Amino acid sequence: MNARETAWRLFSSELNSATYEIKGDDEKSPSYVVTRLGAMVNRVLVAGVLTEKENVGTDDEPMWRGRVQDLASGNFFINVGRYQPEAAAAMADIDTPAFIAVVGKVRTYTADDERVFVSIRPECIVKITEDIRAQWLLEAARSTWDRLNRMKKATSLGDLSEKALLAKGFGEKDAKGIMTALDQYDIPNSTIYLKTIQTALRTILPEKNIDLGLPEDMSDDPDEIDIEPGSTSHSNADMEDIILSLLEELDTDGKGALRDELERRAESEGISSMELEEISNVLMDKGLVYEPNLRYLKRI
Amino acid sequence: MNEEELQLHFEELKKELDGKIDDAQLKKELNTYLNEYRVTAEAAKRGIKRKYGVDGSSSFMTADTLSKKIDELKGTEMNVDITAKAVYVDKKQITVRGTPKMIISGILGDETSTAPFTIWEGENVELEKGEVYLFKNAYTKLWNERVQINLGSRGKVEKAEGIRVDVPERTITAESTEVKIGNIKEGMGDVTVTGRIMSVEQRNITVKGEAKVVYSGIMADDSGKIQYSAWNDYSLKEGESICVKNAYIRSWKGIPQLNLGDKCEVSRVDDSFGEIDMSVSKKTIADIIAVGGGLDLSVTGTVVDMRAGSGLIRRCPQCNRSVLNGECTAHGKVEPINDLRMKLILDDGTGAISAVVNRQDTERLTGITLAAAEGLAKARGDSEIVAREMAGLIIMRRMTMTGNVLSDDFGPMMIVNDAKVETVDVAAEAEKLYDEVEGAL
Repeated sequence: MNARETAWRLFSSELNSATYEIKGDDEKSPSYVVTRLGAMVNRVLVAGVLTEKENVGTDDEPMWRGRVQDLASGNFFINVGRYQPEAAAAMADIDTPAFIAVVGKVRTYTADDERVFVSIRPECIVKITEDIRAQWLLEAARSTWDRLNRMKKATSLGDLSEKALLAKGFGEKDAKGIMTALDQYDIPNSTIYLKTIQTALRTILPEKNIDLGLPEDMSDDPDEIDIEPGSTSHSNADMEDIILSLLEELDTDGKGALRDELERRAESEGISSMELEEISNVLMDKGLVYEPNLRYLKRI
Repeated sequence: MNEEELQLHFEELKKELDGKIDDAQLKKELNTYLNEYRVTAEAAKRGIKRKYGVDGSSSFMTADTLSKKIDELKGTEMNVDITAKAVYVDKKQITVRGTPKMIISGILGDETSTAPFTIWEGENVELEKGEVYLFKNAYTKLWNERVQINLGSRGKVEKAEGIRVDVPERTITAESTEVKIGNIKEGMGDVTVTGRIMSVEQRNITVKGEAKVVYSGIMADDSGKIQYSAWNDYSLKEGESICVKNAYIRSWKGIPQLNLGDKCEVSRVDDSFGEIDMSVSKKTIADIIAVGGGLDLSVTGTVVDMRAGSGLIRRCPQCNRSVLNGECTAHGKVEPINDLRMKLILDDGTGAISAVVNRQDTERLTGITLAAAEGLAKARGDSEIVAREMAGLIIMRRMTMTGNVLSDDFGPMMIVNDAKVETVDVAAEAEKLYDEVEGAL
């Protein structure tokens, strides 16, 4: 019997910081992306604002890409292929920005420099109301909190093994996920996830003064960007400066810098396209640059 | 290698093997490896550890066989070695194509699990209950979702001298285990159940040309309910509580059913269930998947997808099957009747099940009546439009559904007999979560 994989409710901070995938070999052993909180994710249910979409295929064979922002700074990346005609039709119909919910399978993509990106291949995309989006925020926050607690309970056990977890009443998948996560990533930094829960609660309850007493000026999700020291010739700060000055130079008509052009120039400065992607994300998170659309990047 | 060196390796191995092998046996093994075959100490230790199953990697490839623990068996092995204790042994004569033949069947167990086995060439083989054997070149099959170990003409069984195997008590399925009704699963062996008879009916059936009366109905305790069939007359009465020993479980489409057979003992008891809520049992989807199915179950989750075959469909007027292109698989060309239904996927974060919603509930949940659906399909010249309209109205809704759950190759499926949209007080729930998180920090 093949029960359908459940759709995990989780935030982009948790999903995108996952780098380890258990690869399945066939229908009977599906693949799982293992998050730092020990979720073994094959399918997700995410909701948020579709902020950008682009058809990178043709009109006849559309291939849609999009970004779905779940909270203030986190994005899910979705890729709709030709084998998901219903999701593709929905993408064609929905204008940005819009509240949407996406059910889909997750997959990882490893760049040349071995960094891992997680994207969602939607099976179903629907427009939702703000109420339903609030419902999702609540479910995702609750589910994240449950995972944090399970992880905490697990790591407080003296004897930490899959068997010991099962004996303590953990489910089979939870036990396997937690052990895999600890093997691959070590004990997670709970502040990141608590901050996400805090942001979700603030969004649902804008009137209430939600404060979990967390450090507010924490550097942005160190989990999410894992740069090996010595992997680049430039330091990050250097690269950020170079990109910022290139953006100014290339923005000749006020529309921003063309991505392609920026990529070419960055390359000649010794910054690879993967590094560029990453630095742009950092700069966007810092609020220094934004994307007026998918082809341009602009300094604020 | 001299006695002194041997003793060193012996001590080291003894620690690692942790009592899995007798001292004398271990010494003999070491001596064989080192002094008869003169392999390196390293290779000898590795070999012995492999042989007695304490190597770090659980499976081990040789040229053509694999040695496995019972819980590692998938039911597809063509050639596998298994070292296990014979928990139960039964030698019997069967007839194959007119020729009598001796086979040995029973149950094998190791520290991981148990599984039934059959030795098909049992003429000159004697197995003793409680002894540990090495089954060489066995093959496995899946039957009723349980792995079976088979030994054919290529296989060999030999006594595994000096190996100790501890079979945990609870996995011995030959004995009757006491269970709550809500925890009864497909594939359980004999069970002992205490429950209240909620209903009894009598049916007359014919078994092998003989008329027989079967008593069946619903039995329940405070954890759930189950359909039972009694093959003898225990003069069961509605409302009384009984303790049933040595009943067996058979599943129909994933719904476990309790059978009171010839071995069964029934006694009247006083129960402490109080008022049994016969209406529905609230479950998580993970619970349902674990059990495989059940009667009158209720789940709350989010509708995450609508599958093909939803919306406006056509049915055969004779058998009610859904038909495509006006042709019924059983009755050929028919004049089909229009109907509405939804095949939904309900997901509660612990798991996902299919849910089939009938016309009445489909109309109520979507506000689209059959007449309106027919009108819409006609106006657009496309009946698929109905499913798309419905999907837009139903997907991402939180719902509570109640019905019977069956299982097949595609997993569990609920035949919904009641569905309602759940309204969630998001603000109140969020406050609750906030208090909980704040309180824990």
